[in-house]
Amino acid sequence: MNVLKAEGLTKRYSGFTLDNASFELQKGKITGFIGRNGAGKTTTLKSMLNIVHPDSGKVYFFGKEFAEAEMEIKRRIGFVAGGFNYFLLKKLKAITSVVKNFYPDWDDNAYREYIRLFGLDENKRVAMLSAGMKVKYFLALALSHRAELLILDEPTSGLDPVSRDEILDIFLSLAAEGKTIFFSTHIISDLKRCADRIIYIKNGKIIADDDVENFEAGYRLVYFDTEPAELEKEFIIGLRKERKGFSGLIKAENAQYVSGTIEAADLENIMLHIEREGV
Amino acid sequence: MKNLIIKEFKLSLHPTTFIFLSFAAMLLIPGYPYLVSYFYMCMSIFFICLTARETKDADFTVLLPVRKRDCVKARIFTASAMEAGQVILSVPFIAIKSALMPLPNPVGMDANTALLGFALAFFGIFNYFFFTSYYKNIAKVGKPFLWGSIGISVFTILVEVLTHAVPFMRDVIDTPDPQNIGYKLIFLAAGIIAFVGLTALAYQKSARSFEKQDL
Repeated sequence: MNVLKAEGLTKRYSGFTLDNASFELQKGKITGFIGRNGAGKTTTLKSMLNIVHPDSGKVYFFGKEFAEAEMEIKRRIGFVAGGFNYFLLKKLKAITSVVKNFYPDWDDNAYREYIRLFGLDENKRVAMLSAGMKVKYFLALALSHRAELLILDEPTSGLDPVSRDEILDIFLSLAAEGKTIFFSTHIISDLKRCADRIIYIKNGKIIADDDVENFEAGYRLVYFDTEPAELEKEFIIGLRKERKGFSGLIKAENAQYVSGTIEAADLENIMLHIEREGV
Repeated sequence: MKNLIIKEFKLSLHPTTFIFLSFAAMLLIPGYPYLVSYFYMCMSIFFICLTARETKDADFTVLLPVRKRDCVKARIFTASAMEAGQVILSVPFIAIKSALMPLPNPVGMDANTALLGFALAFFGIFNYFFFTSYYKNIAKVGKPFLWGSIGISVFTILVEVLTHAVPFMRDVIDTPDPQNIGYKLIFLAAGIIAFVGLTALAYQKSARSFEKQDL
């Protein structure tokens, strides 16, 4: 079942266009939204919620178009850009006392439990929280109003490896409980750790929307001792000079057309070579 | 809407708002251009919007289950409530001044019932110029404050000039209460109409601008 469906989202800026972005999110899955900085991840996320007004395109949450059911949809989702960097000088309890009023399904017991579980101190001010704790506070708020879909823009950016691991652990637990998680990142190891699916955006265009395994299986990494022949280069994506020889990415179905040593490709290599293409 | 107003009071109001609210007591200062005492509340509204930019208030609020235009309504309503609060708080100080110091004000309008009408019109003008400019781009707060300040400065100068140059204003309106209270009540009523009308207009225009704005 689709929790979210974006159709043809387009937003034009001078110098950048989010071009006809279409994708879907499946219930209970963790979907990573990858792309290098400036690829259009934040614009896409903001366009989905009409925070940025797309020039064209439609977004459906839970089968309902956003424009027609905005209030209901906002009650059923949680969205945060980066960490929770709002009202830095306010205490968590002051912010919570405001937020809870907006959600009829707010569960105070669940909130207390998440605060305890995440080790948050409500008397602390937002500015006193580490980046990881800010993400946890957002999750505590979203889960306490029973958000079914959690959308996070770069939640692990700037976190130390241990904190990142903790957040990803929480994502895995939440997905196991049936929550849908959509998070943007440019950290490939986050995706390897927990994503079921990936949506890959490059220069404002969605170039992949697939299961992680399928996506990886669609490519091969190929190594050459010497520079490959021109004919071979036609099949190679993002040829890169290595310390010894060259490496490139090829589509799995083109493996027979190249002469180098072929290996399985992982997400990191796929992204590095795809981003290299056209440089 | 109620929840958004609670949010304004708990998270968005700048501490100076309450300090400047108490500046209604400035009406007790002998020989002072009393309309200026209402300028401080305009400053606190500027501080609220300036702080809102730093706290990412709008980014936070539009993610709540609310319409964008309701965010505008709550902000303008809260600002207007504080403005009206200062005008209401002025009433006992005018009464005290009229009872204890019933002397004409040599530098401008007397602290009287008509002054309350002028103060309300003053706030209506500020709200219109400030909010309609602010909601075109909430990242820029200085320029809207400049427009608002120009609007209320022109109005203040106009009122003070009229109270010196026009005999009716000088002899009837710029007098201690309760002299000519009937005429002064008409000015108060006109002030209420100007305040409500200009603020409502400010809301309509601001909401339209904010809804179009990408955050």
